[in-house]
Amino acid sequence: MSDRALRIAAAVVALGGLGVAGYLTWAHFADTSVICLSGGGCETVQESSYSEIAGIPVAALGVAAYAAILALVAWDTPAARLAAAVIALVGLLFSGYLLVLQLFVIDALCVWCVANDVVIAPALAVLTSLRLRTNA
Amino acid sequence: MAATRPAAEKRPSGLVVVLAFAVAVAAAVALVAVALFLRDDGGPTSVPTPVVDLAGIPQQGTVLGAPEAKVTLIEYADLQCPACRSYALNVFPAIVDANVRNGLVKTEFRGFPFIGSDSLKAQRFVLAAGLQNKLWQLQEALYRNQGQENEGWVTDELLRELAGEIPGLDVEKLFADAESNEVASTAETGFTEAQAAGIPGTPTFFVKIGDAAPYVLQTPSDSASLQAALDDALRG
Repeated sequence: MSDRALRIAAAVVALGGLGVAGYLTWAHFADTSVICLSGGGCETVQESSYSEIAGIPVAALGVAAYAAILALVAWDTPAARLAAAVIALVGLLFSGYLLVLQLFVIDALCVWCVANDVVIAPALAVLTSLRLRTNA
Repeated sequence: MAATRPAAEKRPSGLVVVLAFAVAVAAAVALVAVALFLRDDGGPTSVPTPVVDLAGIPQQGTVLGAPEAKVTLIEYADLQCPACRSYALNVFPAIVDANVRNGLVKTEFRGFPFIGSDSLKAQRFVLAAGLQNKLWQLQEALYRNQGQENEGWVTDELLRELAGEIPGLDVEKLFADAESNEVASTAETGFTEAQAAGIPGTPTFFVKIGDAAPYVLQTPSDSASLQAALDDALRG
């Protein structure tokens, strides 16, 4: 896979992440309960005590991380690539923690969150890490 | 000269990458630790006394307000939904005082109990209270005492206590009605109808002017924005 293709893929995946996290952040601040495609998992997850850190919704942290990665992918210096990969790895590990919470602690799954935790965050971590192996 | 890349553009060395990833892991661990440490695990704080006085306002089933009121405010709600609670405690009282008590607006409850089993049970009981034209009092009391979602907070004890505080509500009849097939069927029909109507979440508000088709309102964040929407409807 060429570096150009990796870069485009990383940008597309980060945009997808920005969309999901943005939607969940909007739902949080709009004081609207998010509806799931099935069951009430989204509402349970989104309103659980794990959905905020010191008053900041975790979805908003996602928005910040994805926006930062998009900016770093656009900037595209070696340092920016490294920073993007580091942020994506932090995001991946934190997503893993959120997935474990949903599965074993909150006992509810939010499809929006799972899309982020299982697809978007891992894909972005792989893409940004692979780009470290190519020269700028 | 043109063939030489500046040093800053070379890819980072393996050591730098390993160090950066170690920092990432440490940062993730720290983030999780902070998240767990700062977690607020308390449920909503219960409010002991009613936030709105509904005495003297006509009620018929799921509708609060004068039957002849020109404007109807329709609310799709789930009794477990924190945003619905926020509306009920912070916005609804002002709306009642300025619009419903004077007969200009009536408001209709439509249940959308999608969060879980506590939602459905609460829904059955408010519908049963509606058979005694006390739906809005019981709904308000449940919001004031809302617990953590799906943790079984809608207990018979809580319902009995709250219902007992509502003047004129026959508690035994309430329990009998709540268990009836008729109320269970109404609750489930309301759920499927809301789903079929594509209601995106709760609370969702519609305004109906006379017999015209209802139109959706953007979820109001405060009583002023909802009041402005109702004023528009009253003029329209």
